[in-house]
Amino acid sequence: MKSSTDIKLPLGFILFGLIAFVIAQGILLYGYSFLESGQFRSPAIWSGAHFLLLGFAMMVAMGAMYQLVPVAFLTEIWSHKLGYIQLWITIIGITCFAILLGVAPQFAVYGAAVAIVGVLLFLFQMGCTILKQKQKNMMTYFVLAALTSLALTISAGLLLAWNLSAHAFSNHNQILSTHILFGLAGWFTLLIIGFSYKLVPMFSLSHGFSMKMAKKAFIAYICGLMLWTISVWIHHSVGQTIGWLLLLMGFFLFTLDILEILKKRIRKQLDKPLQFSLLAIGIALAVHTCAFLLSLFQVTDMMIWSWLIYVYVMAWIIFSILGYLYKIVPFLWWTHRFSDKIGKEKVPTMKEMVNEKRSVQLFILFVVSMIGILVAVWLQQVALLLLFQGLLFIGSVLYAASIIHVLRVKSS
Amino acid sequence: MSLKEKVRSALYEVIDPELGINIVDLGLVYDVEIEESHVTITMTLTTPGCPMHDSITAGVEHRIQQIEDVQKVTVHLVWEPAWTPLNMSDQAKQMLGFG
Repeated sequence: MKSSTDIKLPLGFILFGLIAFVIAQGILLYGYSFLESGQFRSPAIWSGAHFLLLGFAMMVAMGAMYQLVPVAFLTEIWSHKLGYIQLWITIIGITCFAILLGVAPQFAVYGAAVAIVGVLLFLFQMGCTILKQKQKNMMTYFVLAALTSLALTISAGLLLAWNLSAHAFSNHNQILSTHILFGLAGWFTLLIIGFSYKLVPMFSLSHGFSMKMAKKAFIAYICGLMLWTISVWIHHSVGQTIGWLLLLMGFFLFTLDILEILKKRIRKQLDKPLQFSLLAIGIALAVHTCAFLLSLFQVTDMMIWSWLIYVYVMAWIIFSILGYLYKIVPFLWWTHRFSDKIGKEKVPTMKEMVNEKRSVQLFILFVVSMIGILVAVWLQQVALLLLFQGLLFIGSVLYAASIIHVLRVKSS
Repeated sequence: MSLKEKVRSALYEVIDPELGINIVDLGLVYDVEIEESHVTITMTLTTPGCPMHDSITAGVEHRIQQIEDVQKVTVHLVWEPAWTPLNMSDQAKQMLGFG
């Protein structure tokens, strides 16, 4: 069976994602004063956050799925034509939505509606593709749960956008909490966990590992998501704390599996981008632990929770994606450019297509910038915040350039 | 050099692009059969669902087709017996820092 996808489709999503990443960091740089004062609910931050999470993280995740689902699930994409239609609708929808959130939030619902059509087409496409898979495994269930979470996230998101213009609901905060939890922990985390079960063994050449915790991790995480959401809606703080505990347990069990995979790896020296994605797993475990402890000790300061969410987004979701992209893009380009030349002429290895030294410098820059932003906010130093957000912006431009550089490799 | 030896030697030039190691040292080649000018190669990959599935098997075909006296190449990709690290040569193990 042919297990590859037309590379233009995933690459289209990823290239738009890189542009959105730079725009998002630029907007956050422009709105640094809102960050410093902890005003996360301001138009500039809404716009930057949605360029980052929808424009970059979601688009890259979609592109990666168009590439990875056929190879990991051994099933072909249901319709490539639908994929291209979905790509353009989603690009138009996200761009309009994120811009409107920044300049005219009362009209953001119109951009959101177009973006939702794009996401619904994606859900339909992936549903049809994955359900064709003959033998389902734990990875399938993680990905299906992630897609279900995405559907819930956009439903809640549409209600929020509608509420911004029509003020139709009084329970805005519960809808917002559901939107954030299912978007971050449901969609992104379950998706990254699911694909990590494939990508980490593949890139570390691990052999003889068991994945024995995967089922327990899945059940604990899903139960945590549901219990936490129900508890938020019925205002039950103990339920929320147990929900955080279940989410922590689920993530901890997944981490145990990753440790076993790494212990049984054959490739002792891991590539630097993979090490960066693995660092993100450690940070996510720490954030899950913090969330549980904050809930246990009934810390309700919104500033603390907002920055915890920021760390979760940047150091788990974004860092994971930044690391994996350094593996995914060379693979895509290698397949496009060299796969029919292997055996005929000398072709580069994927490692030769990436400037690993530059990737290490960029990863250090991202970590330092993020820590600097947190320290600046803690010390209430506006100049320091501007400096580190500026560094993050420069890092994002250089990162996008380094990924695009891979696409310029024409021969060994 | 016999045709079988030429084929074996040529397979050393097919490199796994992710690992940067040739497929013979990785222990992916299980058998080479020659029937006049028809070469049949039985091989595996390190994992089912390997993204390099099509590229590596096509690479084997391309490289063997280049050998004089070869008219036809058939690549059988099998998953049984499954690949294990024990299949690797000492050189491959050393390159990966394994063992």
